[in-house]
Amino acid sequence: MVKALREEVKRLFEEKKVDLVIGWGKGSLPMTATPIFINKAEDAERLIWDETCSNNLAVYLTKDKRQLVKTDQKIGIVVKGCDGRSLVLYAVENQIQRENLVIIGVPCAGVIDKKKVLKHIEGKEVLSASFEADRMTVEGRGFKTEIAKCDVLSDSCLNCNHPNAPVFDVFIGEPRKSDSVEDVYPDVEAFEKLDSEARWKTMVEAYSKCIRCYACRNVCPSCYCTECFVDQNDPQWIGKSPEITDTLIFHLGRNLHVAGRCVECGACERACPADIDLLKLNRKISKEILERFNFTAGLDINEKPALASFCENEKQDFIMG
Amino acid sequence: MIKIEKSNFGTFIQNLSADYSLFAPVGEGQQSAFREVKNAEQINTHIQITQNSPKTVFLPQTEVLFEFSGDDIQSEEKPAKPMFFWGVRSCDAKSLNLLDKVMGQSKQRPDDPAFQDPYWKARFDDAIILTLACNEPASTCFCNWTGGSPFSKDAGDLWAVETETAYLVEPLSEKGEAFVKGLSGYDTASEKDKQSIAKLKKQAESYLQPAVDAETLKEKLPQTWEDPLWDEVSAKCVNCSACAFICPTCYCFDIQDEGKKDKGKRIRTWDCCMFPIFTKEASGHNPRSLARERVRQRVMHKFRYFWEIYGESLCTGCGRCVRVCPVNLDIREVAKQLLEADSAA
Ligand code: SF4
Ligand code: SF4
Ligand code: SF4
Ligand code: SF4
Repeated sequence: MVKALREEVKRLFEEKKVDLVIGWGKGSLPMTATPIFINKAEDAERLIWDETCSNNLAVYLTKDKRQLVKTDQKIGIVVKGCDGRSLVLYAVENQIQRENLVIIGVPCAGVIDKKKVLKHIEGKEVLSASFEADRMTVEGRGFKTEIAKCDVLSDSCLNCNHPNAPVFDVFIGEPRKSDSVEDVYPDVEAFEKLDSEARWKTMVEAYSKCIRCYACRNVCPSCYCTECFVDQNDPQWIGKSPEITDTLIFHLGRNLHVAGRCVECGACERACPADIDLLKLNRKISKEILERFNFTAGLDINEKPALASFCENEKQDFIMG
Repeated sequence: MIKIEKSNFGTFIQNLSADYSLFAPVGEGQQSAFREVKNAEQINTHIQITQNSPKTVFLPQTEVLFEFSGDDIQSEEKPAKPMFFWGVRSCDAKSLNLLDKVMGQSKQRPDDPAFQDPYWKARFDDAIILTLACNEPASTCFCNWTGGSPFSKDAGDLWAVETETAYLVEPLSEKGEAFVKGLSGYDTASEKDKQSIAKLKKQAESYLQPAVDAETLKEKLPQTWEDPLWDEVSAKCVNCSACAFICPTCYCFDIQDEGKKDKGKRIRTWDCCMFPIFTKEASGHNPRSLARERVRQRVMHKFRYFWEIYGESLCTGCGRCVRVCPVNLDIREVAKQLLEADSAA
């Protein structure tokens, strides 16, 4: 698989189809891949594709004031299902020139969440890790543990129906058959069952840990405003300290701004140094949008986003009571 | 050097907590931090390095400088009891000394209170820091790059080593001397104990990677200012502030008023050079508008500017930023790349 990926990227450079390719390379820590940017054929050798490739690479097309897409350069980008969905979102929202992108799909069987691995081994220091089909082995000083991969998959991957990029120019290997999960939101249902007081309590507890580092927002491909409302100071919309009211305004504001646009990639949750379960609210909103508008973000390049279109036959009970 | 048998550790901690606000590493789920404790059971002695550094106590993320109501201004009282920090790693003990250079100015301007932060001094000046040697440095530790070592005695008031059965403690400062003098009923460390320290030290040092010389890096950095390498190393940074907020030595802050016009509080809250607004000017112009400039700033501050002003690097090699960065931007790799680059002067 990795060999085919490298060869394909090499070919793209040689045929002058791309000027730059964004993909994943080996990271500096065990269980960690890192985004890499390559601009010549021989560097294709640095590419990897495995269960550690968890970053959503689409974010690089919009980050830093869209530096990369400002020019006419042709950009190749390696994408799993959710990164591919972000590209669809970008196309629908006119953030990219589709013809300047070469989308390289890879079949995804889920990525791991390092924090889950560490939880599993009670925070011990991992010095090396290896993967097999359904297991991973982690080793450190004086221990070696096998862990079932399903126990450490990112929450975003547990009930995923879209393992392949919906739109691509080349695909490496065979697109993975979707598991056709019927109940996509079991985690959300548990949260919904709580009464409003208990829901509020869960949220205050979780978000009190937030240090307002904005890693969640900055790794999120759907959060691409040139200037986020929390960064504005004229006027200043919210306080800067991690005081719970302000923190909740930040998070709820973000939840609403990505409503119907979140591709549920889980990048936010994996990035959070405070270990907050950030996906839950995003998935609650996605579930709501699926039920009300029969819409899932980032699947169809010709479909308008749910919150940017209006149909007369939409359920309006939330307005009418 | 005195010897506190592990069987007596509980009593030792109990006594300590009667006289001091005692802070020690506490695990909280996947997180860990220095928290006030009352007994030994609350302390997690297995944590190599706490996710949150002791900085969060001395320079908290948010602190109220004063509260105001009309013309009335109220400021917080000095803490009633001095703080005692048990189990600070040598890199973190050093980080407090580095912060003291900036906040306390105790060395630069010892006689000029105008430059000394009273909030910092109220906490730091009386605090006793016990530096606990690292028997098992983590794979992300690189204190040896910036003048530290797992068994360093360069910072802290007391120094301790954990052996199989005991903690061996010796003073490093006057405060530490006075503290040890005040203890009674403890044995002195034996020759055998000292041998086991030497053994542990050797083993700990063997876990570290070969050091890169931070001083050479400092010499090199001015030449790299325009180097395209900065584009390369910053390409993947998403400009969050996870690295800075988790860093034991990042000290930038913002001051804000919260509340209404005539009643509220003035707070000091961490800020970060990775945020675009950090350098945005009133005109709207931003001298550090892109990731390239912001990453360069952070690296330059750690490895060059601080050195130029205070004579050492502002990175202690604790490795926290390496662990939390969501895109695996590893400051060690950046340092190596910069050293290898053949930048023109
Ligand atoms: S909100 Fe989180 S899950 Fe949704 S697109 Fe952004 S990073 Fe991905
Ligand atoms: S990544 Fe976590 S700690 Fe940082 S702002 Fe987001 S929720 Fe808060
Ligand atoms: S820059 Fe990183 S390694 Fe250096 S002191 Fe800060 S957190 Fe630790
Ligand atoms: S280096 Fe990593 S942690 Fe620091 S701002 Fe960049 S992405 Fe965030």
